Amino acid sequence: MKTEARPSVGAALERVEGVEKVTGRARYAYENFPDELAYAVPVQATVARGTVLAADVDAVVRLPGVIAAVWHGNAPRLAPADNAELAVLQSDRVSYRGQYVAVVVAETLQCAREAARLLRIDYDAEPHDVELRADHPEMYRPDRVNAGYPADTELGDPDAALAAAPVLVDATYRTPAEHNNPMEPHATVAVWSGDGLTLHDSTQGVSALRETIAPLFGMPPENVRVISPHVGGGFGSKGAALPPVVLAALAAKHAGRPVKLAVTRQQMFAVTGYRTPTIQRVRLGADTGGRLTAIVHEAFEQSSRLREFAEQTTTPTRVMYAAPDRRTAHRLVRLDVPTPAWMRAPGEAPGMFALESAMDELAVACGIDPVELRIRNEPAAEPESGLPFSSRNLVACLREGARRFGWAGRDPTPAARTRGRMLVGTGVAASTYPVYRRPSRASARCDPDDRFTVRIAAADIGTGARTILTQVAADALRVTPDRVRVEVGDTALPAASLAGGSAGTASWGTAVVRACEALLEELDRRGGDVPAEGLEATADTAEEVGEQPEYARHAFGAQFAEVGVDLDTGEARVLRLLGVFAAGRIVNPVTARSQFVGGMTMGMSMALLEESVMDHEFGDYLNHDLAQYHVPTAMDLPDVQAYWIEEDDPHLNPLGAKGIGEIGIVGTAAAVANAVHHATGVRVRDLPIRLDKLVR
Amino acid sequence: MTMDFLRPATWAEALEAKAERPGAVPVQGGTDVMVELNFDVRRPDALLDLNRVAALGEWSAEEDGRLRVGAGVTYARLIAELGDRLPGLAQAARTVGSPQIRNRGTVGGNLGAASPAGDGHPPLLAAGAEIEVESAARGVRMIPAEEFYLGVKRSALEPDELIRAFWTRPAGGPQYFSKVGTRNAMVIAVCSFALALHPAERRAGTGIGSAAPTPRRAVAAEEFLAAELDWDTGRLDPGLPRRFGELAAGAASPIDDVRGTAAYRRHAVAVLARRTLTWAWHDLWAAGPHEGPHDGPRGRVRRPGGPVAPGDPGDPEKPRREAG
Ligand SMILES: Cc1cc2nc3c(=O)[nH]c(=O)nc-3n(C[C@H](O)[C@H](O)[C@H](O)COP(=O)(O)OP(=O)(O)OC[C@H]3O[C@@H](n4cnc5c(N)ncnc54)[C@H](O)[C@@H]3O)c2cc1C
Repeated sequence: MKTEARPSVGAALERVEGVEKVTGRARYAYENFPDELAYAVPVQATVARGTVLAADVDAVVRLPGVIAAVWHGNAPRLAPADNAELAVLQSDRVSYRGQYVAVVVAETLQCAREAARLLRIDYDAEPHDVELRADHPEMYRPDRVNAGYPADTELGDPDAALAAAPVLVDATYRTPAEHNNPMEPHATVAVWSGDGLTLHDSTQGVSALRETIAPLFGMPPENVRVISPHVGGGFGSKGAALPPVVLAALAAKHAGRPVKLAVTRQQMFAVTGYRTPTIQRVRLGADTGGRLTAIVHEAFEQSSRLREFAEQTTTPTRVMYAAPDRRTAHRLVRLDVPTPAWMRAPGEAPGMFALESAMDELAVACGIDPVELRIRNEPAAEPESGLPFSSRNLVACLREGARRFGWAGRDPTPAARTRGRMLVGTGVAASTYPVYRRPSRASARCDPDDRFTVRIAAADIGTGARTILTQVAADALRVTPDRVRVEVGDTALPAASLAGGSAGTASWGTAVVRACEALLEELDRRGGDVPAEGLEATADTAEEVGEQPEYARHAFGAQFAEVGVDLDTGEARVLRLLGVFAAGRIVNPVTARSQFVGGMTMGMSMALLEESVMDHEFGDYLNHDLAQYHVPTAMDLPDVQAYWIEEDDPHLNPLGAKGIGEIGIVGTAAAVANAVHHATGVRVRDLPIRLDKLVR
Repeated sequence: MTMDFLRPATWAEALEAKAERPGAVPVQGGTDVMVELNFDVRRPDALLDLNRVAALGEWSAEEDGRLRVGAGVTYARLIAELGDRLPGLAQAARTVGSPQIRNRGTVGGNLGAASPAGDGHPPLLAAGAEIEVESAARGVRMIPAEEFYLGVKRSALEPDELIRAFWTRPAGGPQYFSKVGTRNAMVIAVCSFALALHPAERRAGTGIGSAAPTPRRAVAAEEFLAAELDWDTGRLDPGLPRRFGELAAGAASPIDDVRGTAAYRRHAVAVLARRTLTWAWHDLWAAGPHEGPHDGPRGRVRRPGGPVAPGDPGDPEKPRREAG
């Protein structure tokens, strides 16, 4: 057989499932209709804290079309879960408004909806506390924060260094709660047969979901199959198992019927996770030349009564700039609110808004160009760990971005430029995101027709993962991509890590390369002969990933923004956004550009639009639909450009690729806020930059 | 529970159906109704689909010189077919939702919903439009726009009545609509303002949106303009727009909500009022004093391709927002 082809990695291969998607043939979780399908509609708590006294399920099951009504009084028992959010309908406690307290299963969606509406629930309500305050008496230090980082770090004597610093920035920044809102709401079709469970689910990781769900129902993982070939976005909210999928499986079990449960957009504001609001105090000490002597970054966040989720808000500060004396800290308070979860660069996005805003304030205080200020504080090694960087091209990103953006000669004076009735300004911020890699398995198969199939339980949540894995496999197999078929999104395939932490390409790519290499070896051994039944090889990267040498591995980038602010109404608009990234090898320029541009758009959205408003009286998020929770439209970002620096980093993975999914978001909000300051002279430290904050 | 779906083919049938079942909810574009049904805001026992009533989708120039625009004329058609004669309303229409919404949504539906944030209302108020409503029992009633809005999402429409059309004179002078929002499309107004100059009568009409329980006129501001504007020479005293803005803001009674604070809204109404007045006055006199107000309709033709006024990139003072 012929095994030669031009490298596919780096080429702009079109999305391999593109036609399937645009013609509507791609099937999403909701679009599965097994025989005997019934519909589940959840009932959500109408108090933010208290106990469920009674649920009149008997009245509801008498309604026509209703098959079952389940509450904690009659729900199937689940095994204890590490994550109490998943102990769905297992107790009478209500821990937040909107929590699931019952579910109705009926022959049609309409019947189920109506019955769920009619189901009478009696509560014993207790006063709730839903307000994040930095001085909350129940603030505590979590042991670890998300992704396993220590909560606090300290080097040297930052307090003394701050006291001695000739220039000091001391500012408090706030970011609001935000909700992910992927285009496709979460949906599950749960089908039991015997003691096996099949879940058609909209998930970022079938393998992880199976590992979580199976033990809840007292089953070995093999008894659960999760199928998720196409996912309409996740941004983190479909990363870990959530109450809806558990509720669907539980309802199906109780009803003895396959059940479909689709979360509505409004329900997504309670049951599918969100970004914690943050209060962050940043203190920077510097000499008059802008060289940092001390950095202190402290974050205050919330989690639910059910589960400790502590976002790693200040971890990027451990990576970014050199300074001998430094401290980072996280404090958490448990409130009567839903559990926060992963959302679009958790930690980095809000944390870098604060740090990069503070750097801009320092640039102003020292009278130094903000690009130059960052270059002056470039560390030789990772500041806290002392580890060498596998590669770090932040300075190159800043310089290249400045050149492309036309930064040179910028007059730093705030509120000094108008275009018509608009104040105009520019801002810059740096971005960073860690390079993660997780163990995965994959198989590669060759059939006598010389076609290859690569199987891995990876997830393509709209990123183009299937496409780039096709390119990676084609190169590893030394064939053209049209001879390779990649199958993802099914636990029947070799187990893989989830789509999260921008780690998909690195993790899955490694497994795919190793499986393909193993297959080629086997083929070589057989002199190139493919047996009639085909030939298959597998790989497991656990060892390889576990043994990787210690380096500080991070992607870097720089974003530049130009904004216009209406002089009289305070309406702020982003006129231009430009990002330059150093993220290792770019596997596919088209899908990569989409990731960067999408990320920057989310960052701009974070700066100007997104805010989940807590209703203190009722204890839930008020603006729980897309008419009130605003994300940008195509009209809001007329000019957004993404570029990247060629980076050859041998310390990453066989692809030489860093993650690109989230870094676009990080930094962008600060770049926009810094530009707003440059335009207006108003420093907005609490996002989003609403128009009334710019009018005085 | 079932819901009847009534599909009259003619206006007469529609009126009969509404008389028989006053609880039936009319559906034109459905861009408000379907959202409400979806959110379970209401559960009517019948829907009255007006889409087969062809007459509602027509507009005509009437003998009294006014335009009669059917309740079912979509925003997209209004912009394309009537943009030159109803520039203020067309500007508002361009800011409604997205192309999909403008292809379905109608001024009739905007009136039916009577939301204080509805973008159609301020231009109707400023132009002094009348709403033609009809019932099988009592026939036609003409309701001046300013008497149409009674409260938040409440109008003067009786349960057995349907909206047939709105009547308004083609613009006799410059008209402007301006809206403040958090983004460039798909945005409910934080507040809005419409101004229409009526040079022949030497007065101006106004409409405030999203800054009171109902859309409303700024009557004191209008009276101020009628008294103070210099219709003879076109001279605009620099303090005049500011005072006009203050009076307009004084007519608002806004609330705090997720879209903006009451204080911000009052401020923004003043800004929008000032702006729209300055633009309109400038347009009116741009062609030179001899083409002043006494020349009537000529005053309204402002620039080549004239009617699509806002967003002229060459003039940064003009509103830039135009939904895609
Ligand atoms: C995504 C989205 C964006 C939107 N953006 C905007 C916006 O920017 N600005 C804005 O103003 N609105 C906006 N809307 C609201 C809506 O599109 C407008 O109010 C539109 O004018 C409604 O027209 P319609 O024909 O679709 O009305 P429908 O939904 O059909 O009806 C609206 C109301 O009027 C009644 N009705 C309709 N026709 C008649 C009649 N002939 N007689 C009596 N009653 C009648 C109905 O019963 C109902 O109560 C938006 C809606 C959506 C879904």
